[in-house]
Amino acid sequence: MDALVSPILLFGGCVLGAIGVAMSLPRKGLNPQVIGALIAALAGGVLLIGLGVKAGPSNLPNINFYLFSLIALGASLRVITHPRPVYAALYFILTILASAGLYVLLGAEFMAFALVIVYAGAILITYLFVIMLATESPTADQVEALSGYDRYAREPVLASFVGFLLVAGLSVMMAGGVSTLPETSNYAGAQNLNALPKKVETALREAKLLDANEEISRDKSGEYLIDLSPVTGGPGTVTIAFGQDRTRVLSTDHPDWPKDLRLTNVEGVAFALLRDHPGSIEVAGVVLLMAMLGAVVLARKKVELDEKAKLAAERRSLGDEFSPENSPLMGPAVPGSPTVREAPTRSLGEAPATVGTGGAA
Amino acid sequence: MIDVLLTLASGPTPGPMAQATLFHYLIVSALMFGIGLIGFLTRRNLIIMFLCTELMFQAAGLSLIAFSRFHLNHTGETFVIFVLTIAAAEAALALALVVLLFRRQETLDAGVWSQLRG
Repeated sequence: MDALVSPILLFGGCVLGAIGVAMSLPRKGLNPQVIGALIAALAGGVLLIGLGVKAGPSNLPNINFYLFSLIALGASLRVITHPRPVYAALYFILTILASAGLYVLLGAEFMAFALVIVYAGAILITYLFVIMLATESPTADQVEALSGYDRYAREPVLASFVGFLLVAGLSVMMAGGVSTLPETSNYAGAQNLNALPKKVETALREAKLLDANEEISRDKSGEYLIDLSPVTGGPGTVTIAFGQDRTRVLSTDHPDWPKDLRLTNVEGVAFALLRDHPGSIEVAGVVLLMAMLGAVVLARKKVELDEKAKLAAERRSLGDEFSPENSPLMGPAVPGSPTVREAPTRSLGEAPATVGTGGAA
Repeated sequence: MIDVLLTLASGPTPGPMAQATLFHYLIVSALMFGIGLIGFLTRRNLIIMFLCTELMFQAAGLSLIAFSRFHLNHTGETFVIFVLTIAAAEAALALALVVLLFRRQETLDAGVWSQLRG
């Protein structure tokens, strides 16, 4: 509990947040969504200010952090409170974009871009497609009508209580004092640079440590002689060849040594992913393949409607102007006759020829 | 507390790359997870319920990235790639199931399926 000014602030913030979220969930009767959202925002603000005061001026995050986390949390609140699924999905995209901003603040550029491309670009589009496929067809007089299950939340008070109990518990577990984020320049992985001779060479040339006729020396098996973080400790070395078989050793202690020569985020992720955990990416591929197969199998399955659902589907397909009495295909029909009973299922189905004979009868 | 706030207000404004503490990111992630959980419990639309699980994935990913940055180690970031993978697989399968259920009952209400038997 050392990361916050006082535990009362944390628990007070959680209670406020629970009240706010519970109030902003859609419900029957009086619906104070705006007030609820304001209370929830106040709770978030209290928590963040309490953190900032404890962390002190030197560790205060810049304005972008507050901006992105405000957008992310506000949009995620809107995801769960908006009655229309399409808007909820669009607000989720906003959450994704704001979290990508937070990722960039954390120096994880690769994951930020992957998040935007994979999540906002692919997964959410799938969601939008399904939302548009699976909506009840609107009736003629109420185009804007919402289904009942979108209009009212189920047990908002209880769920908010449980949710913020979890938040309070998580925060108490995690709040182990002010732990500042270290400088990115201290990233472990100088030894990974040994595997990137071209990068080292370019950086050294730009720092004027390597002349035009010089290059990084190789041993007999063709390995570049770069050892930037020796096992024995001490400064790293680069062996440089010039002329015929003449070499000199350049140390990282050199005053002109390029200080910004280190792995970028993408290179670091690449080493961690492809060299340190090479099998995991195969497993991920298998998981994706299985998911694809499963989705194909599920989507090709023919649905067998039970009798009640069949009747409901018939009734839905029969609009006012599409009732069999008015349909030109059906001709004059005797009410209650078997042809009228069967006609809608046929027109739903795939055999227009039988519909024609039905009309002749 | 007031005097601390005053010193904060009068102190130098943080630069563009000033860093927050680890707990700043963790609390944002915890709040997002809580919101996702509340949404999963309260909403009755199947698609929104799955969106809320994605929200929880997102929160977990944010804390993974923050821990990865805190320990100066890229393993946490690579783990988020697998979170993305699982989220994509889950979206494909879950949405196929949702479409199947919708074709059967013409509703997305989760309560309709409370009578499921194995």
